[in-house]
Amino acid sequence: MTTDLVIGMAGSGGDGIVSAGEALLSAAASEGYHAMMTKSFGSQIRGGESSCRVRLSTEPVLNPGGTLDVAVALNWDDFLKFGGELPVGGNTVVIYESKTGVAPDKLPLTGVVPAEVFPVPLQDLAKEFAGTEKAKNTVILGLLAGWFGVGSKGVLAGLKKRLAKKGPELFEANERAFQAALRYASEHPLARPRSLRAPPKLLPKLLTDGNDMCAAAAIFAGCQFFSGYPITPSTEIMQFMSREIWKYGGALVQCEDEIAGIGAAVGASFAGKKAMTATSGPGMSLKAEMMGLATIAELPLVIVNVQRGGPSTGLPTKTEQADLFQAVFSAHGDVARPILAPTCVADSFGLTVEAFNMAEEYQTPVIILSDQEISQRKETCDPIDTSTLRVIDRLVPGPAELEDYKRYRFTESGVSPISHPGMRGGNYLAAGIEHNEHGDPTANGVMHARMNGKRFDKLRPLQARKDLFKVYGDPDAPFALVAWGSTAGVAREALALAQADGLKAKLMVPYLLFPVAIAAWTSFFAGVQAGLIVEQSHQGQLHKLLRMYLDLPRGVASFARSGANPFQPKEIVAKLRRRLDNQRTDRDGQPHEE
Amino acid sequence: MTLTAKDFKSDLKPIWCPGCGDFGVVQAMYRALAAIGRPPHEIAFVSGIGCSSRIPGYTTAYGFNSVHGRALPIAQGIKLARPQLLVLAAGGDGDGFSIGGGHVPHAIRRNMDITYVVMDNQIYGLTKGQLSPTSPRGLQTVTSVGGSLEQPINPLLYVLAYGAGFVAQGTPADMAGLTSIIEEAIRYPGFAFVNVQSPCVTYGREDQQIKAHREQMKTLVSLGHDATNMADALARAQHYGSELYTGVFYKNPEPPQTFEAQARERQTQLGPSARPRDRILDMFRQH
Repeated sequence: MTTDLVIGMAGSGGDGIVSAGEALLSAAASEGYHAMMTKSFGSQIRGGESSCRVRLSTEPVLNPGGTLDVAVALNWDDFLKFGGELPVGGNTVVIYESKTGVAPDKLPLTGVVPAEVFPVPLQDLAKEFAGTEKAKNTVILGLLAGWFGVGSKGVLAGLKKRLAKKGPELFEANERAFQAALRYASEHPLARPRSLRAPPKLLPKLLTDGNDMCAAAAIFAGCQFFSGYPITPSTEIMQFMSREIWKYGGALVQCEDEIAGIGAAVGASFAGKKAMTATSGPGMSLKAEMMGLATIAELPLVIVNVQRGGPSTGLPTKTEQADLFQAVFSAHGDVARPILAPTCVADSFGLTVEAFNMAEEYQTPVIILSDQEISQRKETCDPIDTSTLRVIDRLVPGPAELEDYKRYRFTESGVSPISHPGMRGGNYLAAGIEHNEHGDPTANGVMHARMNGKRFDKLRPLQARKDLFKVYGDPDAPFALVAWGSTAGVAREALALAQADGLKAKLMVPYLLFPVAIAAWTSFFAGVQAGLIVEQSHQGQLHKLLRMYLDLPRGVASFARSGANPFQPKEIVAKLRRRLDNQRTDRDGQPHEE
Repeated sequence: MTLTAKDFKSDLKPIWCPGCGDFGVVQAMYRALAAIGRPPHEIAFVSGIGCSSRIPGYTTAYGFNSVHGRALPIAQGIKLARPQLLVLAAGGDGDGFSIGGGHVPHAIRRNMDITYVVMDNQIYGLTKGQLSPTSPRGLQTVTSVGGSLEQPINPLLYVLAYGAGFVAQGTPADMAGLTSIIEEAIRYPGFAFVNVQSPCVTYGREDQQIKAHREQMKTLVSLGHDATNMADALARAQHYGSELYTGVFYKNPEPPQTFEAQARERQTQLGPSARPRDRILDMFRQH
């Protein structure tokens, strides 16, 4: 029996690999398991290679897992294209289509001898029992149920529901294929059985991906306007909005380009509505000027950047965390705007609500820096109690203020009540040009300096926010990890490993990346002797950003590498260990630079 | 309360050069808005960047002097978010047909009820006299030394070809005509385009100043033009650059439904199926 199972499957687009993964995921979720699924594709539009990785556990799942427990290859050409995304190890059970003609002892896996290998006539079984090769993904599900005990109840129930509209024949054909695969599994037992233990208790769970979670949160927060331009991997946010936003009296427009995509949202915000746009790196580059406009005009706006590999088109279907500098610095003039990063599907909800709140409260564009992995992976989440979440609306001028309205009145907080067209007495000129308190254009240097001060001062309370940082482990531990975005889930597992390994370690997960909350960071790093800032970018952008604002302890280094190469908990611990050894050498007077 | 032109004039002093055609355009706007009768706070007036894009600040409406070339996306966001507003957009020929040219076709095909006024002077004035997208071939400017090598854009054909429901041209040389064109454009229930031949007194050609316009202009009405006939409109519009026709080139006699009206229908139709906002997550439940 095992408590955790990582299954990776690959085939050609059209093989139904991803829908098999989804069926397994919903089945496992309905059986009460914690589950996560990531998908990975080549960048072809149709066909090409496609894969998914499903992790099932009796404990909460923090990341997609490392080396596979089960590898399913419909053909080896496609499987091997995923390289490090679907690593096979000595403990892996390999199942593959016997038609591919590879002998079990001649697998094209270099330097690895898997635990067990099963060439299975997947196509033939599908054809014989369901009457069509298309059912080979159902055969796979039957094998997984038979060998690992996952989805034996849920898969058929899910299929029945999904195929209900297409008449009983199709479901019955799939049921026969599934049963045949179960029989096949029992006739060819695993040498070392490893069924997944039953889940501890059946909790009603949510199952969705980060993009849908983010969009649902926007609706919850009162978003009434969405405009954008399709771009992978953020498009599902617009697709969700296209289904839902109208129901709430809101509107959506798919724009002609990324600039119009943010422009229309800026207009809607000026008109007094909560507005959002979503994009990925290339779109962010195009939106930079409009973000500056929203900053100087002090208009609330939420901008989602679902990061993918860059620069330019880069790796459009793979995850990376290399847009932090862009989020912080892509502006001319002096600009600061809040940047928030979710770390999983579940926290995408609360953090998106937070983004709307910040935008409204401080009248500023706010960037949500998600990433491809979070946005497109599906995972089970515990129910979210929305009654604990605050929803903030922008401060509007009262009748007295409208008597002599100054849109950009200097106030103690830096926030001035904001009117909108339709409000009598609130008329003003919003502009990209510098303005005085009334909103009238000015080229006066003194006024410009004061307005810059106002725009920075109003964000100051953010620097004192402690609730947007989570520290795991003993807060006084001398060894530290820092990780943001999707890397945080791997780091949490690494922390548990390190602790089990006897290391006194802690982990900082920041949700607010900018403005840099100096107090939260300083207190975390106090007493830290050595540590790693783990992130998926070539430069280690958070590490460099933090060094702009604070002095990191000498032993804290960057552990960074380019996207599409997910970190594994074990290697993080190993790296931390090496760091400690270096530190010891350091004290002996022999510096080791990494 | 009856509104007069003065109610729409703000206290800001225009930065325009004395003799600029844009003074006439803003005057015509004040008069047209007074005739329409909506109070200033129900009007949103959006522009991009350029001399003419300063115009919202010279009115008492809610103004938005945004970034170069982007008046139309912002105006559409405003209109869709709050359809009851009267939404105006304005700017120069460079703003509308060069840097912002990509937005024009899409504003037209979306057909929101927005009036877009372009002050066309065939030159970049704010940056002091460079080539514009409507500058005639051969024009000598500081960036086209030896003469422009490019064919100019014909704004009238451009918008007609994309299906604009209302297309007109005016000049401040005929204030009564310009005022009535702008008023008619605002009253048109859909996207309306007005090209104003608004001379640049500093960098413009001497033979294209207001005085010359008075002699050159021919009203379409006097020519017996039928503004409901697209083919006639296209034929007349081809003479942009050689003839100064003023008046309405085309006005769709059967205006199609606007984007915002369809949006409203969709909201009404789908509204009843909305989950309460705080129950939005129910759609992700597994049981």
